[in-house]
Amino acid sequence: MTATIERGAPAGPTGPPARPRARRSPLQRREARFGLLFALPCFLLFLAFRFGPGLAGVALAFFHYEVGDTPRFTGLANLSRLLNDDLFWKALRVTVVYSVIAVPLSLVCSLAMALLVRKKFRTVTFFRSVFFLPVVTSLVLAATVFTWIFSSDGPWTRITGPVLGWLGGYDGSWLASSVWVLPAMALVSVWSRFGYGMLIILARLQDLPAELEEAALTDGASSWQRFRYIVLPQLKPALFFLAVIETTGSFQVFDLVYVMTGGGPAHGSYTLVFQLVDQGFKFFDLGYASAIGLALFVMTIVVAVIQRLTLGRES
Amino acid sequence: MKRLLALTAALCLGVVAACGSGGSGGSDADSGSVTMWIYPVVPDQAKHQAFWDQRIADFKKANPNIDVKVEIFPWPQRDQKLQTAIAAGKGPDVVYLIPDQLPKYAKNIEPVDSYLSDQDKADYLDNAKAAVTYEGKMLGAPILTSTRPLVCDRKAFQAIGETSYPKTWDDLLALAPRFKAKGIDATNYFASPDATLNESFYPLLWQAGGDVFSADGKSVAFDGEAGVKALEFLKKLVDGGYVEKDLLSSIPNIEQTHIAQHKVACTWQQAPADVEAFWGKENVVVLPPLTETKSVGYGTVGSLSILSGAKSKAAAGKWVAFAGQPNVAKEYDLAANLFSPRKSTGQLYPNDPVQSAMEKTVTLTTVGSLNAKSRDVMAVLAPEIQAALLGKKSSQDALSSAAEQAKGLLGQ
Repeated sequence: MTATIERGAPAGPTGPPARPRARRSPLQRREARFGLLFALPCFLLFLAFRFGPGLAGVALAFFHYEVGDTPRFTGLANLSRLLNDDLFWKALRVTVVYSVIAVPLSLVCSLAMALLVRKKFRTVTFFRSVFFLPVVTSLVLAATVFTWIFSSDGPWTRITGPVLGWLGGYDGSWLASSVWVLPAMALVSVWSRFGYGMLIILARLQDLPAELEEAALTDGASSWQRFRYIVLPQLKPALFFLAVIETTGSFQVFDLVYVMTGGGPAHGSYTLVFQLVDQGFKFFDLGYASAIGLALFVMTIVVAVIQRLTLGRES
Repeated sequence: MKRLLALTAALCLGVVAACGSGGSGGSDADSGSVTMWIYPVVPDQAKHQAFWDQRIADFKKANPNIDVKVEIFPWPQRDQKLQTAIAAGKGPDVVYLIPDQLPKYAKNIEPVDSYLSDQDKADYLDNAKAAVTYEGKMLGAPILTSTRPLVCDRKAFQAIGETSYPKTWDDLLALAPRFKAKGIDATNYFASPDATLNESFYPLLWQAGGDVFSADGKSVAFDGEAGVKALEFLKKLVDGGYVEKDLLSSIPNIEQTHIAQHKVACTWQQAPADVEAFWGKENVVVLPPLTETKSVGYGTVGSLSILSGAKSKAAAGKWVAFAGQPNVAKEYDLAANLFSPRKSTGQLYPNDPVQSAMEKTVTLTTVGSLNAKSRDVMAVLAPEIQAALLGKKSSQDALSSAAEQAKGLLGQ
């Protein structure tokens, strides 16, 4: 028997009816207390080592602190310097452009691959493993290999060179071009991350009730209509989660830049985290590095809230 | 109550005794403990440790009450580790530093002038002494020097039927088309912002008669005539297709570059040890650094510095003076395949053609002027040089733009 739904009908409650909360026995309460007691050291360590440095970083953003110096409270001086630092704005632009390329591309690839390996065919498990493989590959190793692939002697350049030469902004190597360096790095990032997104979306796809799609099929909906009106809306929570994770990851990109370009050419791939590391560990200006970190944190939160308000509101 | 008073008195006595013992240890040159951090200057860890164990034993004979501990740390992230340790008050008493690091750590360093004898100080090569002297004080006792002369591949010259090697920039530019015709680069140049300018651009700047900073260190000087000349020379090499273009944007492993394929004629960015495995020792030709107005190359100086947080500065000073003695330094330099910063040690490698040729260039090296903002300035200059070489800016514009950014860093 095929279940049908009445178009436009409000969706009813989907979960099981609420049950009155059962009263726990003294033994259960005792067990719970011991459980919390055993978890406490771990929780305290987590607080100390996860939030402690974070809070110290926030505090340090209001100090002038170079190694060997006594920290000196300077109020908003670091943040004011940040606003007048051309390199910060350049790094911010690079980070945003990189994220704008990498995040949607990663979501689309993850979704496409998840839909592909959702189907049941003989070698599907093999393909799922192959697509997930880049996630567990060292990014530094991958970046080293891709540096060669994008070099002027590399296969990617040989394939795309003639077309891009005609388009302009390209002078023999993707990594030497300030126009193409960010797309190049975004492609490597997508290659290394889409398997994770695919897994998340696949898990969600396998949880979706088949009845809805079957009903739509009975009603004569095309593949695109089934995807657009049935599958996609139900994937929203997973897509929102991925969008937040991918955006946060993109805002924090460092290893790719470090291995592939060192921030070049001419600051063309100089990201915020790269600037943070430079300031903190190359120039030892920990106060200013912390101010960059604080700005990055605030921006990440703002972007996550915007994503929540747009993409994740209904989920 | 009596018990409480007795306990308080005992505690006070304990505290006084503890302070007393610490104080005496800190002031007495004949006793104390010294911890030294050093890095794999001698690549063989066991050999390196054995060297210091033997030196500690020798030192102990004359200074039985001073305990010395030498800890060998890996090169990567050494600044971060040292920085963190100093900030946490857990730094070593003595540490191996190179001139690039000295101005940054100057606030944490106890100058060694008063711990070295006048005879000792006079024995250092002038350039080695200058490399560790900051604001008139010696921040470290040099124990080794290195040099980056011009290194050429004999086989590449044979390929174009040339028997004389370049001495000047013009010589190299004149040979470049002939090398190109045979698929060989005239040289290699790493323009990635990650590559240190000490080994890439600054030697050219010095050779053209310029310097990174003005004499008083308050402003930059790289944007003058010499800087433009040096950058124009590089641009000619890049625009003519005489260098490997990928090195302008990334730093691949040397195995992935033309150096490893006998396709680079000469380099000032690699030492013979870096290229021997690919070229064969018989093809390595060591020459003095190139000349424009003068012949000068980069060479670093490894020195032992006493940190101001040392438990016993006097004991640390004794150890540094001992470890920097000519006979100790000579043995260390031989073990590390490096060169002596001392005049009295004489030639270390009379029978090794490559090393002896390198040794002759030690006095032609410099680290440039020491400045607390040298790394910061390098970070704003490197991307501008890269932009010029990739054709995005003119040489003058790139250097002027870097100089403008450097003004802010130098508080101008």
